[in-house]
Amino acid sequence: MRWGVTWWAALAALLAPVSARAADGDLLSPNVLAISGDLRLVAADGEASWLHEEFGKLRGSGSRDASFRVKPELGSVDLVWQPQVGFAWSATVVGTLQGGERTEAGLSEAFISYKPMRRQKLRFSARAGLMWPAISLEHGGADWHVLDTVTPSAINSWVGEEVRPLAIEGTLGTQAGAHDLSATIGVFAANDTAGTLLTLRGWALHDRKTLAFHRQRLPPLPELLEYSQPQFTTPLLDVAPGFAKHPGYYAKIAWQLPVPVRVEVFHYDNRADPEAVNEDVEWGWRTRFDNVGLVARVGPAIEIKAQAMKGSTLMGFASPDRLWIDTKFSSAFLLATHTIGKSRVAARVELFRTRNRGSLVTTEEDEAGWATTAAYRRDISDNFTLLAELLHVHSKRAQRTLEGFAPAQDQTQLQLVARARW
Amino acid sequence: MPRLMILLLAFVGLVSPAQAAPFTVRVVDVSGRPVGDAVVTVRPAAGARPMKVGRAFTVTQKNLQFHPFVMVVPAGATVSFPNLDSTKHHVYSFSPAKTFELKLFAKDQSRSVRFDRPGVIALGCNIHDSMSAFIIVTDSAWTATSDSKGFVRFPDLPGSAAAMTIWHPYLRAPGSQISRPLPAGETSEVVAVRLRPPPMHDMSGY
Repeated sequence: MRWGVTWWAALAALLAPVSARAADGDLLSPNVLAISGDLRLVAADGEASWLHEEFGKLRGSGSRDASFRVKPELGSVDLVWQPQVGFAWSATVVGTLQGGERTEAGLSEAFISYKPMRRQKLRFSARAGLMWPAISLEHGGADWHVLDTVTPSAINSWVGEEVRPLAIEGTLGTQAGAHDLSATIGVFAANDTAGTLLTLRGWALHDRKTLAFHRQRLPPLPELLEYSQPQFTTPLLDVAPGFAKHPGYYAKIAWQLPVPVRVEVFHYDNRADPEAVNEDVEWGWRTRFDNVGLVARVGPAIEIKAQAMKGSTLMGFASPDRLWIDTKFSSAFLLATHTIGKSRVAARVELFRTRNRGSLVTTEEDEAGWATTAAYRRDISDNFTLLAELLHVHSKRAQRTLEGFAPAQDQTQLQLVARARW
Repeated sequence: MPRLMILLLAFVGLVSPAQAAPFTVRVVDVSGRPVGDAVVTVRPAAGARPMKVGRAFTVTQKNLQFHPFVMVVPAGATVSFPNLDSTKHHVYSFSPAKTFELKLFAKDQSRSVRFDRPGVIALGCNIHDSMSAFIIVTDSAWTATSDSKGFVRFPDLPGSAAAMTIWHPYLRAPGSQISRPLPAGETSEVVAVRLRPPPMHDMSGY
């Protein structure tokens, strides 16, 4: 009997903090659920979209004769669940349905966040799970939506496609006078194929995200690569045996100056083995890149954002002295926004290129291009936003001639979007 | 002899150095545009009268912002912090005048803090980095915040010489404040201040 009482007392003592924590938590109330989404009208000309295993750069495709085609579309719907336990722990899980020319549903992000109470001069936070590293200056919110335009830049479109690993990261921040500095280190797995889509399709501009475990189809492959690469890539994949056995890493430094200017430097290395291959013949692509970002407020209502990215990817064996794939990629954009009351206009210009010096993917797959984007956004209420965006992209890729197309292609796309969130 | 004259004139009501009179300050920036949320404090040379603690003071959290952005309270006041959002807030201050931490659950939970020492209290939320506000704890009854047109009006400022300080969260000066003497009998003043741009916040929202 005495032992029984002690056992119950011990159990009660053990459970007391648990129940206190549960009382602090909010796991499934309406407060931790949010839904956002958009309906849109897309008018595009030019090539068929890359979604159809073609070289088109946009989410929309022109008609058969490449003239304008207008289509109403479901853009995307994101269901966001952000349970909280206590004041330091929370999680973010985002389920996404994407419409348009390929309908698919799945998981966008799933990670745990830890943010303890800061010290006077020092703050720390950490995340772990499936998440986009903080590279994009154009995305925000738990649903990782595009802030100023409908379509993100080529850089951040690619981040949405191929740079969302399973990661654990920590961020340390401090204030020194009017300066604010933060440093982030992340270690990650399951991002061994990053660079495949960028090399074999090239850059693209769209707001579709690669959903977890989904494949991305590839355009016609270079002839020499046809038997060495499937017609798809799986961006969330560990190719080498043993999950997280050979993790990649990223690091970021962000500096907020006393003037309204923020500078960010980001480095990524997936440390994939270029000779590793799995049973689906998906290879390790050793991808490294640096990204520099700048946000500056140049007037009470004018903001400038800019990013520049430069990197490389390697895949396969040396034959005879060059690896199968040895690609260098780079892109940069400049985005200016002007806020007038509840309206905001945005203009963006960007350049992009890839340069191939491998033995199987060569100069024929080189790409160079530019794009300009103009967008208008009006917040109707806290829940509704209307957007209109006009985008023009020009790109040149000699590989198109093998498919019977001119190497230089132009595409224009107009999108009218009604976005809602609750 | 002059002192005797002043006393005599004061007695007959012609001059009254200590007689309270309305006083208006307008705070503008270097381009002449009005500056709201500037805190003007006047301390008469004879000594400041403390502000009454009678009323209730509240800083709400709504739509992931503090309201108001700048608030003046008398030393000894108790301020309540109701959370009207559907998410938690973790309100803190590391300011020397008052260091505190409040854990506020979603919707309608309120906690209170008493502020005894005069000074500037910078508020933040540990969960939402972009939330920011200021409480100015004062020991002078002649302390007020400028309205959107930059005006501060004191209906009953003593007519004697005084010291005036102007504080604004983005004022370009040590301690974000400037001081200037106020000659006796002054009824209005325009003060031009140089402001820093408001800070930017990381928009990634993690």
